[in-house]
Amino acid sequence: MAPYLFKRLGQSVLTVFLTISTVFVLIRMAPGDPAAAYAGPLATTEDLAKIRASFGLDRSVVEQYLLFLKGILTGDLGTSYSFRSPALDVVLERLPFTITLAVAAILITTVVSVPLGVWMARRADTTRELGANVVTIAGQSMPDFWSGIMLLTVFAVLIPVLPASGFATWGGLVLPALTVAILQIALISRLVRSEMAKNLTAPYLTVARSRGVSERALVWRYAMTNSSIPVVTALGTRFASMLNGVVVVEVVFAWPGVGSLVVRALETRDYPLIQATVLVTAALAVTVQLLVDLAYPLLDPRVRLGKKVSA
Amino acid sequence: MSTALLDVEDLQVELITAGGVVRAVDGVSFTIGEGETVTVIGESGSGKSTTAMAVLGLLPDDLAVLSGSVRFGDTDVIADPKALRGVRGRTVSLIPQDPMTALSPVHTIGRQLVEAVRLRKPDLAKHAAEARAVELLDLVHVPRSADQLGRYPHQLSGGMLQRVLIAIALAGEPRLLVADEPTSALDVTVQAGILGLLLELQESTGIGILMITHDLGVARLVSDRIHVMRDGRFVESGDVESVVDHPSHEYTRKLLSAVPVLGPWDEDDTAGGDR
Ligand SMILES: Nc1ncnc2c1ncn2[C@@H]1O[C@H](COP(=O)(O)OP(=O)(O)O)[C@@H](O)[C@H]1O
Ligand SMILES: [Mg+2]
Repeated sequence: MAPYLFKRLGQSVLTVFLTISTVFVLIRMAPGDPAAAYAGPLATTEDLAKIRASFGLDRSVVEQYLLFLKGILTGDLGTSYSFRSPALDVVLERLPFTITLAVAAILITTVVSVPLGVWMARRADTTRELGANVVTIAGQSMPDFWSGIMLLTVFAVLIPVLPASGFATWGGLVLPALTVAILQIALISRLVRSEMAKNLTAPYLTVARSRGVSERALVWRYAMTNSSIPVVTALGTRFASMLNGVVVVEVVFAWPGVGSLVVRALETRDYPLIQATVLVTAALAVTVQLLVDLAYPLLDPRVRLGKKVSA
Repeated sequence: MSTALLDVEDLQVELITAGGVVRAVDGVSFTIGEGETVTVIGESGSGKSTTAMAVLGLLPDDLAVLSGSVRFGDTDVIADPKALRGVRGRTVSLIPQDPMTALSPVHTIGRQLVEAVRLRKPDLAKHAAEARAVELLDLVHVPRSADQLGRYPHQLSGGMLQRVLIAIALAGEPRLLVADEPTSALDVTVQAGILGLLLELQESTGIGILMITHDLGVARLVSDRIHVMRDGRFVESGDVESVVDHPSHEYTRKLLSAVPVLGPWDEDDTAGGDR
């Protein structure tokens, strides 16, 4: 277990390092000047040079990069140009909103996809199941911004029961969380379906049925427990990726999380803020994924206890 | 036979498959009385498992069409499939072909055994049900029975698992066991031990056994009556002596000429041969 743990920990750190390094280089290669964005159209060349120097952008990229790495080790990710406060603080202030959105989305996903997947598995290959299949495949290929705008139109404009944007009340959480969840429901319910279908026809289930175990127990105690290992793992992975990937939905709904923050930071060429956002979300996602991977053996006795043939 | 535990009459099973409708069982009749072992023997694909699964009502209703009658006492489970709920586990239980895949891999032996005990006696307290579970494991000669409750199926050998499955089948105190090739997935050295156990249980409890096998050695060892199956029909039926010693059918003679593959009778798997 220990060597595995170190290997996975090393992989995680490396992933975050490569992500943040790539972003560091890419934003400096992209067109646009932070100083110009900061100073506005009337600034003189002299002003811009001064601003650039104050941002540390007059140094070479290599020098900036080394300073940035040094900053990471001391917990200093620089000062946001537009917020004029430590970039890390700005990100951490927004992070709870993104986590709330991701948690709500994963809860909706679980609550909907487990019964839906079970339902589909029990009606495997019938017309109704085919219908549900088409819907989930459609959900899977629907772009986030499209489903978001559809939900906005229906629930906030046509039937105005839910707030369209921002986070003034808990009601404001419903539409963005649903939008994120739609894609995940499509993915997870299909996984639940295939795992359940596999377990519902497994020999152990037939043998359990032969000794009088009720259909309800067969589905929920036997097949569901056996299906839960890959499903829980997938949910964890989806959760990790949501922490990174809800940018579009946050922008569509003006949700005050790190997704909309990073868009604003990109618009203003706010290098420290972009870097801090990417670093924090990547680290968080990688940590969640690591926990999921480590939880796997705990869920599966075959992995946890290993093979031990004996009387 | 009025005291028959199981009375199957003109059972016919049509399976709806991708390649069309297959009549897997084509009008078979047999009875099993108290303390009797009735064997259905035949080569692979002859319809033995389909017969066994039809008796237990375990064929999926949308893929199998059954006719004829399967009566446990007065209950005909083909005419009244809902009656299966009261029959399964209590009147008849299954000993599966492959013990390695016959238990839920993520639940302990104890959990599955205790569940079976409580299906029969729902009012039993947890510790009493566990005590009964240990008793059942002792009955099937599983060593260190109490320690096995906390174990998972993958931690036991095939022979031990088959004993556990027999214990689970017995938890419902059934009158009849349906054993679908109960030793064919097992190591040859433990096969005789399992068959011996079934005969021992029959001796002490008078349980009836429907034995499904393709192995004449098995059939000869355990049977009171033998039905030889081919293409969904019984081509020859009778007691062991008449079928084995005076086969009237060419197919039976061919089955007989296949060398019986049964492990040495004296090697008991509880004595350490079980791997
Ligand atoms: N799930 C199935 N799909 C299609 N055909 C099947 C299925 N199960 C059994 N059959 C067919 O039914 C016949 C009897 O099979 P089975 O009862 O399993 O035979 P046995 O147990 O004697 O080997 C065979 O012809 C087999 O091809
Ligand atoms: Mg078979």
